[in-house]
Parts: sequence; C-alpha cells; structure tokens
Amino acid sequence: MTVSEFLSETIGISHRWLLKTFRRPAFVFFALFQPIIWFLLFTQSFRAIADIPNFEQVTGTDNYLTFFSGAVVIQTVLTSSMQSGMGFVTDIETGYLDKMQVAPISRASILMGKLLADGVRIVIQTCVILVLAVALGVRFGSGPLGILVLLMLALAFGIAWAGISVFIALTTKDSEATLMIGVITTFPLLFLSTAVMPKELLPDVVQRIAVVNPISYIADALHALIITGLDWGLVARALVVILLVGFVSLGATTLLFRRAVTR
Amino acid sequence: MASGDADPIITVSKLRKVFNPDIVAVDDVSFSVTRGQIFGFLGPNGAGKTTTIRMLATLLQPSGGTMRIDGLDPVTDAAAVRRMIGYGAQDIGVDGDLTARENLRLMATFYHLPKREAIARTEELLTAVDLQQAADRPAMTYSGGMRRRLDLACALVPRPKVLFLDEPTTGLDPQNRTHMWDYVRGLNESGTTIFLTTQYMEEADKLAHQLCIIDMGRIVAEGTPKELKAAIGADVIQLRLPHEGLTEGRVALRAALAAVAGISDMSDYDEGVAVYAKDGPGKVAAIVRALDDAKIGFDGLNLSAPSLDDVFVKHTGRTLRVESVKPTGRTPWGGPRGPKRR
Ligand SMILES: Nc1ncnc2c1ncn2[C@@H]1O[C@H](COP(=O)(O)OP(=O)(O)OP(=O)(O)O)[C@@H](O)[C@H]1O
Ligand SMILES: [Mg+2]
Repeated sequence: MTVSEFLSETIGISHRWLLKTFRRPAFVFFALFQPIIWFLLFTQSFRAIADIPNFEQVTGTDNYLTFFSGAVVIQTVLTSSMQSGMGFVTDIETGYLDKMQVAPISRASILMGKLLADGVRIVIQTCVILVLAVALGVRFGSGPLGILVLLMLALAFGIAWAGISVFIALTTKDSEATLMIGVITTFPLLFLSTAVMPKELLPDVVQRIAVVNPISYIADALHALIITGLDWGLVARALVVILLVGFVSLGATTLLFRRAVTR
Repeated sequence: MASGDADPIITVSKLRKVFNPDIVAVDDVSFSVTRGQIFGFLGPNGAGKTTTIRMLATLLQPSGGTMRIDGLDPVTDAAAVRRMIGYGAQDIGVDGDLTARENLRLMATFYHLPKREAIARTEELLTAVDLQQAADRPAMTYSGGMRRRLDLACALVPRPKVLFLDEPTTGLDPQNRTHMWDYVRGLNESGTTIFLTTQYMEEADKLAHQLCIIDMGRIVAEGTPKELKAAIGADVIQLRLPHEGLTEGRVALRAALAAVAGISDMSDYDEGVAVYAKDGPGKVAAIVRALDDAKIGFDGLNLSAPSLDDVFVKHTGRTLRVESVKPTGRTPWGGPRGPKRR
C-alpha cells in the first residue's frame, strides 16, 4: 500500500460520508439549525447571568452573547461528534462495511475517512455559529488568526471526541445505544465544565470536577479566543488535552477495529 | 468424486467455523473448485453457506482447516486474495444514499483504478447490468432486482478472477432471476470462476457445473448435477401423508409397500415417504393398489425423474423446497439466528 493509495481511499470514503450527510435533508437541518437553536436557548434562558455583579470581572465581557458563543461551539462540536459512531453501526447493518473490507483498502482509511468527514461537518457547523454570533453583535477578541485557531481546535477536539463514539458503536453495534451512551456521558460532562459557566461562578464541588474535565480546557481556550484574545498558553493546554483524549479514543478504536475486522 | 480433477482454483480442506461458544456453523468441509467453472453451494437456511463464503472472502477467521484461492491463503495473504476476488453479499451492501454511478466510482477508488479507467469501467458496468437509465438516482429508490444488479456490478469492478455470489437471486421474481442467471453465465463464459450459493435446486441444477450440497455445516453430497441425480438411479414417487399421525402413517405405509416388487428404496421426508423405483410409471398402479388394500389414505402422489431435491431428501430426510421468500435479516457481527447447537 502506498501513501497515495491511502490518501485516495481516505478521501473517497470521506467524500461518501459527506455526500450522505448533505443528501439527507434532516441531517442538513440538524447540522445547521442545531447551533441556532442552542444559541437561542442558551442566550434567552440564561440571559440574567450577565446581571450577576462580577460577571464581567470573571468572564471578561459584559455581553452574555459573547460568553455563550464559546459554549455553543463546544455544545455543537460535542453533539456532532457523538453521532459519529452511528454511521458505523449502519454500515455494519447494511453490509457496506463488509464491502469495504473485501476491497484491498487499508483498515485505517475506513476510520480516517469517516473522521475526516465528521471534521469537515464540524468546521462547517462552527462557521455557522461564528457567523451567527457576529450577526447578533458579538465582537471577537482575537483576530483572523484567532478564528483560525478556534476552528482548528474545534476540528481536532471533534475528531478526538468522535473516536469515543466510534468506540461505543463498534462495541455495542447498536445505534440507539451509541447515541444514548454518548448523550449520557457527554451532557453531564458539559455542564460540569467551564463551558457554560465561568469557573468562579460554579459551586465548589463542580469546580473540583471541572478542573479534571477535559472539556473545561477546550472551553477556556475557546472563551479566551472569543472574548479576550489569542492566549497561546491556553491553546497549548487545550491541544495537550485534545492529544490525550485523541490518543486514548482513537488508539482504543483502532485496536477494536482491527479485532472486529479480522475476528 | 470428480471434483478437483482439473486445475483447481479454490481448495478447501477440513474447514471449520465454531461461533462462540458451541455453535458449529461449518463442520469439516472439504471441496475444490475447478478454474473457469460455476461452482454451486446448495443448502437450506442455516446450512453454513454464508459462513463458508465469508471465510473464503477474508471476512471471517476460520476455527480450523485450510483454504487456498489460486494458491493464496485468505487468512495470511488476505490483501492479495482481496485483489483478485469479487463478493456479492447475501444482503446487498450497496449504499442507498449514493447513485449507481457514485457507488461504482467509489468501488473503483477502493481498487485503485486510475481516474480515466475508473470512469470507463463505471460506464461499461452500468451498461452491462442495464442501469444507465437509473444511474443518477439514489440506489434506495431502486427495485430489489436493480439493487442486486448494482451489487453485482460493484463486485465486478476489479475484474475478479473469482466471483463469490451469496444467494444472488433470493427475493427476485422469476423474470429477474432468469436475467441474473444470464449475467452469471455470461461472466463465466468470459472466464470468471464463480462460487455461488443458493437455496434453489432449480438454480443449482441450471447454473452449476459442479455442486456441493451442504446441510447443518456438513457436505452431504457433491458432484455434477447430473451425477448427483443419476446416483439415485431411480424415479422418485413422493407420497404425501396427512399431517396428523404422520409418524404412524409412515410406518404403516412402509409396511404396506414392503411387498411391492421393484421398489429399490424408501426414505422419509418431512411430508411423507419418498419411494424410489427404476420404472416409476410402471410401479404407480401397484403402489396405489397396495395402499388401497391396506386402507392407507394419502394426500398426494408425485412421480418424477430424480431432481436435486430428491438428492437432498435422500441424504438428509428433508425437502429443500423453499415455500416462501425468507426474510434476509443479517447478523454479521451480532447474535445468531436459530443456532445449531451440539
Ligand atoms: N455471527 C454469528 N454468531 C453466531 N452464530 C452464527 C453467526 N453467523 C452465523 N451463525 C450460525 O451459523 C449457522 C450457519 O449460518 P449461515 O449464515 O452460514 O447459514 P446460510 O447457509 O448462509 O443460511 P441462509 O440460507 O439462511 O443464509 C446458523 O446456525 C447461524 O445461526
Ligand atoms: Mg446465508
């Protein structure tokens, strides 16, 4: 197998997933309108948070919209990557995975192709959020480079998190279970992080959890990129966390995938 | 048996597959497939056809035994084997969201065809399986027959030396079935060796040069369809008995016919008793008279030259006839369907 063969397989497989995504109107609706809905939900129901006396002091902005932009990005990345494994379950059920496996392609490209497609979807969704945020009057604290870094973080974190979903999918081979386990594990983590509430405003217990919660590190970097500016220290910490999560989730998935494939 | 005389392209010896912990799906199966032939694997639901084909196609690890495809081992040389085989699965794995053209182009990518060749091959195959008209519609809008044809085309993208087809006509109406047979024959005439599984004896009879009959994981008979039928050496008179008291009915019937001259053999099948006799037409009157004298009523009598069904009955005591189209739910990685335990 050559590198160019690996690349063309991976791109071919990603292309397939993107075609599938954008051909399903429900999917497009979900992918694009979900961020909008989260935006409205967060900003409308948590509006009063901005009235808390030291809100500006701990977040760096007096605008709740600005603060919640980062939360919506994380929320969307998580929701999107949590669904990643479901595609594998369908492919197992329909026999398409067999078709790929009978072909002389690398097992890794089957996984990479899917994750790449999910990454593209996540970047598109994040762009939708950013455009929406600007339209609602949010001014970014970091410049174009900051936006680029934000997109890269969303992409990398999305792929690392998607690995967890694929792992669950290959273990359970059941799409409902994949989604449910994803939701049950991801949502509490989201609300036990600094994504939706500044650390200083969280109760003590939650603060302690938030410190060891990977989502907090991504959230801190994203909030800074949107509110105050490009903070390389926070970005580096987020990257380390993403690498750790990715190493575990993708490593375990690759092992499982190899085993499932050959049995 | 006559198989393996000529130049074998597939040889399988003592192949076994035990699903955990004790479901023996394939049990010491040995056979060989002659290069350039259509090889049929005939057996009822759960016989082990799919399990065997998946092991050959590198999708499943055997629990024991050896396999060679053109000298290569699907277990240790999986990559090389994959380059020379095509596989049409029982459950048609085409992507319903993609069009026929997109499905084929993606296959061409999987087999690393250069772009120009990929385009040419796609168009050629669309024409070959009569899908040009529908080529740009998502495959989920296709009829069962069209999906089968697209799946066949997908399997043909790499111009395989050996083509595996798992029940390629199950669920097709008679007209589509005949079409599929024509495609398969045409491919075979152009040099492709074809390994085909089926539940339909008529299909095995019409298509296969060489045949293995498999039941409960074991090969019960093998040979050319002609040899297998000739081995029965007699016409077959199937006597269908009333459902209530079938067992006693069989015993009484056998006793009543014991004295009839010229009956070479009798075997039970699920609906009654099959009687074998050299001169079938000449024996019917004597048989009916004997049953009448013994006051044994029967629901039906069927006289025929031996068919593959009779071969199956003779070896397993059950008929192969498929009454209705069976659901094709698959569980490739999942739970068993009506497992056989030992
Ligand atoms: N993954 C599996 N786990 C456990 N048992 C299995 C598995 N796959 C197949 N089996 C069992 O192995 C036996 C043979 O199944 P197989 O699918 O090979 O039969 P088949 O001849 O293809 O039948 P059909 O005509 O219904 O397709 C069956 O008893 C089935 O339940
Ligand atoms: Mg089968």
